[in-house]
Amino acid sequence: MGDDKILEIRNLTVRYNEHVILNELNFYVNTGEIVAIIGPNGSGKTTLLKAILGLIPYKGEVRIFGGPPRLALKEIGYVPQRLDFDKTFPLMVKEFLGFVKVTNRPWREEVLREAGVNALMEKRLGELSGGQLQRLLIARAMLKEPRLLLLDEATSGVDVAAEMTFFELIEHVNKTHGVTVMLISHEVNMVYKFATQILCLNKDLVCNGRPKEAITQEVLEKLYGKNIQFQPHEH
Amino acid sequence: MVEMLRFPFMQRAIVAGVILAALLAWLGVFVIMRRMSFFSDGIAHASLAGVAVGILASIHPLTTAIIFSIVFSLTIYVLERKTNLSSDAIIGMLFTSGMALGVVLISLKSGYQPDLVSFLFGNILAIRTPDLMIIAPLAVGIIVFLICNHKSITLMALDVDTAYLAGVRVSLLQIAFYVILAISVVLGLKILGIVLVSALLIIPASTAKLVSRSFKGLIIQSVSFSEAIVLLGIVLSYYLDSPTGPVIVLVGTAVFFLVFSYKQLVSLGRSQAQ
Repeated sequence: MGDDKILEIRNLTVRYNEHVILNELNFYVNTGEIVAIIGPNGSGKTTLLKAILGLIPYKGEVRIFGGPPRLALKEIGYVPQRLDFDKTFPLMVKEFLGFVKVTNRPWREEVLREAGVNALMEKRLGELSGGQLQRLLIARAMLKEPRLLLLDEATSGVDVAAEMTFFELIEHVNKTHGVTVMLISHEVNMVYKFATQILCLNKDLVCNGRPKEAITQEVLEKLYGKNIQFQPHEH
Repeated sequence: MVEMLRFPFMQRAIVAGVILAALLAWLGVFVIMRRMSFFSDGIAHASLAGVAVGILASIHPLTTAIIFSIVFSLTIYVLERKTNLSSDAIIGMLFTSGMALGVVLISLKSGYQPDLVSFLFGNILAIRTPDLMIIAPLAVGIIVFLICNHKSITLMALDVDTAYLAGVRVSLLQIAFYVILAISVVLGLKILGIVLVSALLIIPASTAKLVSRSFKGLIIQSVSFSEAIVLLGIVLSYYLDSPTGPVIVLVGTAVFFLVFSYKQLVSLGRSQAQ
């Protein structure tokens, strides 16, 4: 890895009511990587993304593009695990997307087409299925033309075929548009194929590196227990 | 009808009614979406303390009520964040304390207090030019603020994290929203009074929510319903010789149930057609 750091985390600790959620994490991400964060439920994956974004208080240092998270928000796209909102809120998809200032119209058209949200424009947010809402959130994050895209289990509620398309879309965005991607996923095989860097999290940082080197049977047992079996697909 | 408009008190009532109907209906959309009805009701009741101070100190009660409402709204904001108490417990505590303080202060002044009665139950026909000089610029200023911050306030009402990530300074905007809502509620006291003012925040927005498909539509319809309700209420109360505030509220409730019944009939018709 070079020294073109887009994200740098130093001694990051997050506590909730004296309970340690993340413990002294140290790592960095270079421009152009696809970073996958894996770990069991409750291992602090979502908390890590929220700390990076400055959504929750933390101790330590988070630097994005060399500065604090607050100053980097314009260039970060974020897709949450789910959007908690009042389903009766009469906000239409086109209104929701209209709040993102887009100057690059061809980019807007490309994003909306690739995410498949053009047909949803006249619908209300509360009328969307889980998969449709996820696609909308991905499109909204991409409309910002982000340099860094953070995805928190963005494929939850999406079927297997759509999941494959999603990972291909992420790879396309990364390769063609140079967007650095950080994503949380439970699909170890999928991230093994698409990711260029893996962070294994279980309150502490258990592994950090290229997938083939970082994901070992020993690491997976540390994360998920003795019963885990991992069969990496060779490509 | 034309004869009614010749009276200066009626002209002032209509001007104040039109401005406040728009302001409260617009804010009401965010109040119902963020479930802040009790906040507005609490601020209205707590502002009695400010009204009492104004009457005692011979200052315009609207001015002191505005100052007190701002203090109450900021206290609610701080307590919501610095304690583990729920919003409704905090508001309930402050609004009863504000009312209690108001009653104690009022008891220090003997004799009938017409100002107090007009603030308790509202009297749009008693609006004077000095009242209008406070109401109009503040209301217009708040409407301009709502227009300029439409995107930010909408995102904040939808989801605080989404608003933050869109670059909205959420804490600052939340404080600003509490303050403008408190001021608007106090301005509305002259129409409907402490007891009824929440109606103009809640009824038009709730009626509009029954029929609107988009957020833009919700705001436009809420303001339209509100204007219709206030103007019809003023005219009806003039001809019925009844107190204007309660007539406005009853007109609003009637409009809500008319729209609700219409919606039910339409969906019944659709299900029978299928």
